[in-house]
Amino acid sequence: MSGTPHAQRIAERLIRASCRRLPGELRAERCREWSAELPAILHDETIRPGLIRALRALSYSVGVSTATRRLSRAAGRSRSARAPEWRDGAMHVRPGNLAVRATVGAAAWLLTVFLTVSLLRAFPSHGWAVVISLVSAAAFAVFCLADLARADAVRYLPKWAWALICIAQIPSGGIAYLSVGRVGRARPAPSGHPAQLP
Amino acid sequence: MRLTGPLERVLRVLTADPSAQHYGYDLMKSARLPSGTLYPMLARLQQEGLVQSEWEAQREDAGGRPPRKYYRLTAEGARVARLELAHASTQARRAAQGIAARPVEEGTR
Repeated sequence: MSGTPHAQRIAERLIRASCRRLPGELRAERCREWSAELPAILHDETIRPGLIRALRALSYSVGVSTATRRLSRAAGRSRSARAPEWRDGAMHVRPGNLAVRATVGAAAWLLTVFLTVSLLRAFPSHGWAVVISLVSAAAFAVFCLADLARADAVRYLPKWAWALICIAQIPSGGIAYLSVGRVGRARPAPSGHPAQLP
Repeated sequence: MRLTGPLERVLRVLTADPSAQHYGYDLMKSARLPSGTLYPMLARLQQEGLVQSEWEAQREDAGGRPPRKYYRLTAEGARVARLELAHASTQARRAAQGIAARPVEEGTR
């Protein structure tokens, strides 16, 4: 049970960091609510041993991060019903921006090729290397598809087309989507959008 | 309101005793939902006026525990939840009967 105070500290820090995403009026209250749940998890006697409780508290605060992302997106949506300009702005790409994104994508692709080759070299019998490659390829494809499914908007192509590309060409299709098609959270937002708040 | 699986589980827990107070972790355990799903859902329900929340009053015997936020259904929420859940179970029953009693000619036609 020596891990409990550590787990609580780390979980509280994670929650505070996630709450920064929320607009000001929600931030303090949500932070207080979620931090108050941690003692209940860390002293939940139905979960044994203590290590599992600590992990549960950590996964709780990771889930809080998902919750704040959804809550701030919902707040942004109700805002965009009144002022749609930041959503329109998201579809607009400056050429310089695109060049940077394409370069990052190409670099990511080279890095994956390099990693795969060194993985195959590192393991004398290729069995494990193949398993690791397949698992990470599947995880990456799933990550790209999940990101695509949750996105409010994508660039250049419809969502289904990006989904096909992500599946057909692992990993280059996914990298292409992430670097070119994805609308990042750092969109040209008017002042007051939750993503812009400290 | 679209009744998804997670929402249905939350509503079942909340309607089991409409006057009971639930805090977030309690709901997570009873409805078997992760925090990332539960809190946005509660926020939405609260926005629609179906759920209300209140802060626990600071008690002397709490042992230094920070006050929690409690959620429960509003009167309107209890009504809507009962309707939706009844609707969902009729549909599920009808679907089960439909599969059992589906006539063969539907496929051949």
